Amino acid sequence: MRNKVIGLAERGLFASAVFILFLLLFESRLEIPVWLQPVGRMHPLLLHFPLVILLLAVGMEAFRFNKVYATNDFYQVFSSNLLLAGALSAAITVIMGLLLATEPGYTGSVVQWHKWAGVSVFLVACFIYWFRTKPWYNRAIAQTGAACMGLILIGAGHYGSVITHGADFITEPIIKTQRAAPVDFQQAMVFNDVIKPIFEQKCTTCHNPDKLKGELNLTNAEAIRQGGKSGKLFVPGKPDVSLLLRRIHLSTTEKKHMPPSGRAQLTTAEIRLLSLWVKGSAAFDKRVADLPVTDSLRFMAAAMFKPAEAAKPEFTFDAADDETVKKLNTDYRTVAALARESPALAVNLYNKAAYSPNQLRELSPVKTQVVSLNLTKLPVKDADLSLVGQFENIQKLDLNFTDITGKGLKELVPLKHLESLTLSGTKVAYTDVRDQFRAFKNLKTVTLWETPLTDTEISQLKKANPKITFIAGFDGDKSAPIKLNPPQVRNSSVIFSQQLPLKIIHPIRGVELRYTTDGSVPDSIHSAILTSQKMVDQSTSVNVKAYKPGWFSSDVATFTFYKSAYKPDSVRLLLPLNPVHQAAGAHTFFDRKLGTFNANSPAWANNWAGFRKNDMVLVSLFDKPVSLSSVALRVMIEEETSIFPPGTIEIWGGENEGNLRKLTTLTPDMPVKKSPHELKALVTSFSPQSVSCLKIIARPLKEIPAWHPNKGKQALLLVDEVFIN
Amino acid sequence: MEKEILEHGLNFNRRRFLSRLSLGLGSAALGSLLVPDLFRGSGADEEGFTPSIPHFAPKAKRVIYLFQNGAPSQQELFDYKPRLRELMGQEIPPSVRGAQRLTGMTANQKEFPLVGSFVDFKQYGQSRAWVSDLLPYTAKIVDDLCIVKSMYTEAINHDPALTFLQTGSQQGNRPSMGSWLSYGLGNENKNLPNFTVLLSRGIGNGQGVYSKLWSNGFLDSIHQGVQFSKGEDPVLYLRDPEGMNRQERRAMLDNLAQLNDLSYQEFGDPEITAKVKQYEMAYRMQTAVPDVMDLSKESDDIIKLYGPDCLVPGTFAANCLLARKLSENGVRFVQLYHQGWDQHGNLPFEIAKQAKDVDQASAALVTDLKQRGLLDETLVIWGGEFGRTSYTQGKLTKDNYGRDHHPRCFTIWMAGGGIKPGMVYGETDEMGYNIATNPVHVHDFQATVLHQLGLNHEKLIFKHMGRRYRLTDVSGKVINDIIA
Repeated sequence: MRNKVIGLAERGLFASAVFILFLLLFESRLEIPVWLQPVGRMHPLLLHFPLVILLLAVGMEAFRFNKVYATNDFYQVFSSNLLLAGALSAAITVIMGLLLATEPGYTGSVVQWHKWAGVSVFLVACFIYWFRTKPWYNRAIAQTGAACMGLILIGAGHYGSVITHGADFITEPIIKTQRAAPVDFQQAMVFNDVIKPIFEQKCTTCHNPDKLKGELNLTNAEAIRQGGKSGKLFVPGKPDVSLLLRRIHLSTTEKKHMPPSGRAQLTTAEIRLLSLWVKGSAAFDKRVADLPVTDSLRFMAAAMFKPAEAAKPEFTFDAADDETVKKLNTDYRTVAALARESPALAVNLYNKAAYSPNQLRELSPVKTQVVSLNLTKLPVKDADLSLVGQFENIQKLDLNFTDITGKGLKELVPLKHLESLTLSGTKVAYTDVRDQFRAFKNLKTVTLWETPLTDTEISQLKKANPKITFIAGFDGDKSAPIKLNPPQVRNSSVIFSQQLPLKIIHPIRGVELRYTTDGSVPDSIHSAILTSQKMVDQSTSVNVKAYKPGWFSSDVATFTFYKSAYKPDSVRLLLPLNPVHQAAGAHTFFDRKLGTFNANSPAWANNWAGFRKNDMVLVSLFDKPVSLSSVALRVMIEEETSIFPPGTIEIWGGENEGNLRKLTTLTPDMPVKKSPHELKALVTSFSPQSVSCLKIIARPLKEIPAWHPNKGKQALLLVDEVFIN
Repeated sequence: MEKEILEHGLNFNRRRFLSRLSLGLGSAALGSLLVPDLFRGSGADEEGFTPSIPHFAPKAKRVIYLFQNGAPSQQELFDYKPRLRELMGQEIPPSVRGAQRLTGMTANQKEFPLVGSFVDFKQYGQSRAWVSDLLPYTAKIVDDLCIVKSMYTEAINHDPALTFLQTGSQQGNRPSMGSWLSYGLGNENKNLPNFTVLLSRGIGNGQGVYSKLWSNGFLDSIHQGVQFSKGEDPVLYLRDPEGMNRQERRAMLDNLAQLNDLSYQEFGDPEITAKVKQYEMAYRMQTAVPDVMDLSKESDDIIKLYGPDCLVPGTFAANCLLARKLSENGVRFVQLYHQGWDQHGNLPFEIAKQAKDVDQASAALVTDLKQRGLLDETLVIWGGEFGRTSYTQGKLTKDNYGRDHHPRCFTIWMAGGGIKPGMVYGETDEMGYNIATNPVHVHDFQATVLHQLGLNHEKLIFKHMGRRYRLTDVSGKVINDIIA
């Protein structure tokens, strides 16, 4: 049985040898039927078997004549059978390879090398198998054969992989980093330096002279002009109809989409470059720099040739000792590296009180490394600048709002690298700085905002130092006047019992506040000036306006102050509040806190007590009788949201709850359609009465007027405070 | 004794326990058999990354982000679309609208009539950038700005979009941009928090701003944003209680630090040292903060530059001025939020007021930084969380309309910090609905901002719960075209 199988296999090996020779001889005349093509394409799948089996087999073959193995039957039989299996699988692989090679696209020297290496593998395997039992076959021949086989296998494998993966597959990552040497923009060619690299990265793995997929070679200009199986690649000037771009733009699910799905795809920028290149008639010998400045291709390419990082100043000095840097860092002084692995240090000093020139002196161990120093708003004197002079590599120095006068600037002249100097807010004088800047060789910007220097002086500086940008900044005196914002009230409450000093202020210094209390608009001549002594002893509305020379006057601000002489000793509501407008219950009306319009603000929910179904019936008791002549309710009126004043207000008073008489009734005015919302005190007055008990009844409006969208419904009454006088 | 052992055990949290355990295993050479880093808690030394030093020399050292919360309408401010006026009232073509997901507010709308801007535009500066008449002050500084018209995002509602812009993820719980920068760059001034937040509110329809937006997420809590509020105590709980003087506070902190140190020696929890550091910083902030917040010494030029409201605490103008002062004092990231840009309806009226609130102060901030020589190293960003639709939301009347949320395109501007000045980047189509050229995804924007600060967005990572997190999540590319 065993011999039968081996015999069959041996005959198969011979037959395949004949078949392979036949294929090699008539290769050029073969026409492979479509159904057989898949067999050929299984070549890359199967080739790994003979590779491994044969390596193992010839390995054993090399040691066959060793004493130990020569007498070992199993070793002999096994190595023989392994060799047979290897040779057979090599035969099948070679046949498949030869079939595959007939498909279009497999031309070129690499394919030839691969083919002959593969065939040699098969032939050497057959040779060893057939002649290994001959008497002349000795140890030397066995070992030479094994070595040959190993070498040929490596060769065949290598060429095969070049076909599938491309020549630089393994070394590519290394080469890529080396390739970084940028081409100078002036020298760069449109095709060689912009277009070809795209092809090389994304296309030539398949479209090269060795693989020639679709009979297309994209490695040189000549072949690109020629096109491939489907025709010319492009119509110069017409990217829309060009085959190259049509294939690229096909959906990735399409079979003809290029590059094939699974391969690295072209980026949008690359597609755009290809399209622009074709549009610009696909020239091969143009320089990028020769394109018009407005050309999109040139614009995109310019970015490619720009050095990756705008030449960073290379620091040639050594880094400071880490420990030293660490020690120099205090709560008020930061010393930090500019970036990782950068020797340069940035130093910032903070806190006026903590500053002394010693803080600069202490930096001398890192004086070479400091490239930026920030002393903004510190009491730095002219004399201290000599300490700054030690930082020989400094590039940026911030002296805004320091106490320097400009006399000390000469100390900075030796700083050859100084590019930016900020002097805003200092007292530098023109006479002191006039001739100083000339000495600075690298200085690029100087800020001079809020210094005593005038415009003419700054423009003279500009003229004398054309290389330096002097920044003068914003001058309010020259800008068009703007309007003051309205004054603000700072009283903790605008409700008082006897009298109140008005705390109406304006945030801007030097503003004059003028006011009226009669409702008229204050003016800057006749109206009284508001001082901090101004008191009110009655409920008063104050109109205030702010004035300052050089500004437009503010809008009128109206502040209302309410007098509420008496606060009841106990209060209670006889009927419950509207469930969603509880505020602080009965205490709401005497807590001296007012509500606002903005329903999202806490002041709304906390201060507005609401009534809708029930009347407001508030009973206030006084321990000692008080003499009253007026009661006022502060309410919100906003017809848009159905918040109306009460229909009627009744005030009752007497000695106790059982003995009350009506003091007065008020029917408030109702808003009309579209009247603006307002906050209003509804005041009732009556002849002075001595009471111990006061009862206020306010009835929410029963029916909203007919003009309103909610006509007929009950209105909401909101009250935040009650004033008793 | 048993009780102490139990308590000691309880004081170990799970992650600390696991990270300690992994050290033990590691020394037993067993660790190498496990998935590498399986138990390592923090990514402090992740791939040689040393927090608080930039990866490469930065162009910008600090950021001021003027966040226009609620999404300002680009059609009324920067993205000039004359064609929209011609097409006024016509239905937006389905080919333009595409399969865009709509918000719940317009999803049931029957018609989507296009609406042109009620306001006129003009070209300004050497860059000839179009700016609407609503922004007269911004128009004057266009040559300092890089206007990006092709921003786009993934979210269609405020909170996710805002969270996306700030943290790189729509869901929250991740560190905010300011926290990442604080983590990546470290302190410049050790007496102020690295990341501060200032809030203001305009008259327009507002949207919420929550403290999760300035959260440190999984980063150390020292990177959390600190809100400076407008009241008498800008930083809450910073002031000493009445009757306590500076010396007493010092003595108290020293004693407390000793106690904490004992506790650290016992448990070894790094959060204890972090806490001690924070107490110390708060102590120094007690003098540093009032100094920064003091606006009384600002000159009249400054008040005229920012507008008179800059002295009224809590206004956008005051916050811009404060932002400048904080930034000048070394605060890495100052985040402003100005609420009120959500103009679903009544847009012409509301947006005019909103624009007036922010225009002068935003432009002033750029000018002010410039005149102090700080603009080169300070990156100013102005913009909202998404754009607004080219069609109207609700009814289109002769002089009133609204616009819904629109993620496909919006406009922001950046200034300083090594961004190209006087540039307009990206374009939208003639209906202002889709991006025509140079789209910039939120992650691209974030990557670019980090890049300007010397950080590689792919390397600024923190390992948490087994995953390496980045501000840009898994995407984002630096927009080199806008870098000077």
